[in-house]
Amino acid sequence: MSAYIIRRIWQMIPTMLGVIVLVFILFNAVGGDPAYVLAGKISSAEQIANIRRQLGVDQPYYVQLWIFIKQVLTADFGASWSTNEPVSHILATRLGPSLTLLVPWLILSTLISIGLALAVAYVRASLTDRMVMIACTVGLSISILVYIIVFQYVFAYKLGWFPVQGWGDSFWQNLVIYASLPIIILLVVSIAPDLRLYRTFVLDEVNQDYVRTARAKGVSENRIMWVHVLRNASIPIITQVMATVPGLLIGAFLLERFFSIPGIGREVILAVERSDFPVIKAITVYVAAATMIFNLLADLMYKAVDPRVQLK
Amino acid sequence: MIRRAPPAVSAAATCVAGAALVAALAVAPARAADPEKVLHLEFEAAETGFDPCKVQDYYSFVVNEGIFDSLLTYDYLARPAKLVPRAAEALPTVRDQARTYVFKIKKGIYFAADPAFKGRKRELTAEDFVYSIKRFKDPANRSPYESFIEGIAGLEELKKEAEKTGKFDYDRKVDGLQALDRYTLQVKLKDTDYTFAYVMALANFGAVAREVIEAYAEDTNAHPVGTGPYQLKEWVRSSKIILEANPGFRGFVWKFEPGTDPRDKEIVAAMKGKNMPQIGRVEISVIEEQQAAWLAFQNGELDVLHLREQFAPIAIPGNKVNAELAAAGARLDRITDPDLDYTYFNMADPDFGGFAKEKIALRRAIFMSFDNAEYLRVIRKGQAMEAQYPIPPGVVGHDAGYRTSIPYNPELANKLLDYFGYKRGGDGYRSWPDDRPLVWRYSSTPTSRDREFDELWQKSVERIGIRLQVDKNKFPEELKRERACQLLSRSAAWFADYPDGDDFMQLLYGPNTHQNNSACFQLPEWDRIYERTRALPPESPERNQLYRQLWRMAEVNGVWKLHDSRYRNMLVQPQVIGYKKHPILLAEYMYYDLDNTRRRR
Repeated sequence: MSAYIIRRIWQMIPTMLGVIVLVFILFNAVGGDPAYVLAGKISSAEQIANIRRQLGVDQPYYVQLWIFIKQVLTADFGASWSTNEPVSHILATRLGPSLTLLVPWLILSTLISIGLALAVAYVRASLTDRMVMIACTVGLSISILVYIIVFQYVFAYKLGWFPVQGWGDSFWQNLVIYASLPIIILLVVSIAPDLRLYRTFVLDEVNQDYVRTARAKGVSENRIMWVHVLRNASIPIITQVMATVPGLLIGAFLLERFFSIPGIGREVILAVERSDFPVIKAITVYVAAATMIFNLLADLMYKAVDPRVQLK
Repeated sequence: MIRRAPPAVSAAATCVAGAALVAALAVAPARAADPEKVLHLEFEAAETGFDPCKVQDYYSFVVNEGIFDSLLTYDYLARPAKLVPRAAEALPTVRDQARTYVFKIKKGIYFAADPAFKGRKRELTAEDFVYSIKRFKDPANRSPYESFIEGIAGLEELKKEAEKTGKFDYDRKVDGLQALDRYTLQVKLKDTDYTFAYVMALANFGAVAREVIEAYAEDTNAHPVGTGPYQLKEWVRSSKIILEANPGFRGFVWKFEPGTDPRDKEIVAAMKGKNMPQIGRVEISVIEEQQAAWLAFQNGELDVLHLREQFAPIAIPGNKVNAELAAAGARLDRITDPDLDYTYFNMADPDFGGFAKEKIALRRAIFMSFDNAEYLRVIRKGQAMEAQYPIPPGVVGHDAGYRTSIPYNPELANKLLDYFGYKRGGDGYRSWPDDRPLVWRYSSTPTSRDREFDELWQKSVERIGIRLQVDKNKFPEELKRERACQLLSRSAAWFADYPDGDDFMQLLYGPNTHQNNSACFQLPEWDRIYERTRALPPESPERNQLYRQLWRMAEVNGVWKLHDSRYRNMLVQPQVIGYKKHPILLAEYMYYDLDNTRRRR
């Protein structure tokens, strides 16, 4: 096991190098030169040159790339080009609000989707199953933007059940008061596709011989579904969930904008709008690292839920 | 580079105009602000920071203007905007044909308490302004407003030396910027510049204390300490800004005179004689989506709302607040922004540029194909006025009687193109007189607003048989190409830094090419006349006459197509007393009041 983990970590190095090079090329190809914006409305060629010198974008590309690599190695991405705020501070302060929103959503979404998937799979081909699938298809077809606009108008403004927007100072206030409606919207948006997917995973299992055998032995339906079927369906579910987790680090941009949540999603968009490369670099690298780490964790979890899986 | 023109501030005028306002801003008992009066505002985009010399965004200015005292400011009610003293005792004495400005600073102004002062009360002096202004030239600060003080003698040399040595010498005496005594600041300019007084009213040019800047050198954006009526209490970046009344602020008595606006009398009746500021706390939320801001305003969570275009048809049908808002006591305060939107041609472009008759005809024909009325209706939702003149209303030099010589007239545009040999092919599209396919390359950013604009231009040039190719670029890339005179056309905007026509006319001055003369327009005759305008006082009829001549020349040559100046619609809750949107001032919250008893429950 430990040899496998070490090997996988070792393999992350070339992947990360690939990410660094790709981000670097993309930024330099389409990112735009931030000096022209930072220089202000009225600026001379000398002012622009001075800014480019200070940002280091006048250096040869190989020097800039080497600086990027050193930043990744030291986990120090410097300060934002547009606000001068240390990038580490940006990540530390913006990640909390995003996770306050997204962690409860992921947990609730996974539990609810799995529960519903088992239930509708159990009554497969029934009217209930068909109605749920139709509802999921309809739900899937509607953009999240529509959900946000309608829910914010109806539940926050008209009914007054939630604040229209805002963010407070304490974790519980934020979780209970400000994040509730965004979490509900995320659940409505995410449960439909997850339910359809998980139902398929479960249906693949309920027709297996071991299920028939269990029934023949008189095992209760609850035990069959929740223990035997779920355990075997859990590998693709783990894959799906673990693929979602790194995405939490880039927040939920639309929800953060509409509900004025000071999360990392808004920061990413701001950084792109401002061509703020240090922030873009840091977030891209952290998301890439998180993706690799959670892929590794997913593989380890496969082994934990199914001993037949061999880690090579 | 020259970029400014003149506001006439003679010594005599200084005394007369200043006297009334000195009284208006007279020292009043401090601590008038009531902590129970909490004002809720919104920003539609994130601020960047609060170091006056490092920021350039509107939202940071709104905060900075409340925290830092500039030498001058604007009369709250006077329209067009009128300069008045703020940290200065009076308007400056102007000598040597507007080459020397002398400011007398009020005595007894103190910085807000801060650990950087080590427990001492720190008085504002002329040296603080010397230091604050020098900071704009320090290369380490890479100030976006550096160009505004480039006329000060001796500062450029100091900057050059800093670039060589790597260290800016703040202690070095500079001829053009001197504290003559503890309370007297003298500025000497290299050339005549009547607009310098306006520069000293910009939010960026508020005084900072050297001790504070040096104590928080790592992040000066996060530690604004000024002498103004407010201080920063809490800052959650890009999310929430809380200002509290500065307990050490000197205060002033509200004593502005009503203008011609009938509402002024009502404001004066409600506010006259009050010690300011009245509002104890200002809470600003960054709300990027208009729906959220609009609902929050209706919910009573915001006291003042800048209503964006897309909600205008709902909130202010017929430019009056809707019945629901009216019933709740909300009102509309509407001004025309001192801004200008226009489309330009790059005059240095080998195909479309130049002064040959057929090129001029082509550019004018393209401009004539565009229907501004449709643009105002479709894109601006009726929330802008068509621009006829490059100097917007409310800005000195505006000519309300001027009518453009490039009106919407596709029929005439087609005749013009036919006459100059731009032949139509079988597909209906035109070619150059030498039979090359004629394609107009227009650049824009990948935003929804620009996409709408692209479609309107597409529709327009189809009317005259010209193919349009839209190049999509990120904004920094557009600027880069524009500065290099490599961008053929784009629609640009300019918001007044100060209310003088020169701020707009300098956009066409030849030597400003590669800076902010986007059209790379260089016509020696035009430049000569423009240089004459700079030596004239702003209100002079002669300068206005020359501006008309200049604009007619630019128009005849088909350099710019003017589009509009936007309306700024501010929705105001009934509890806000004495509110009036100012075209240039940003921190109006120091001039109005709140009546909590009028809040909706």
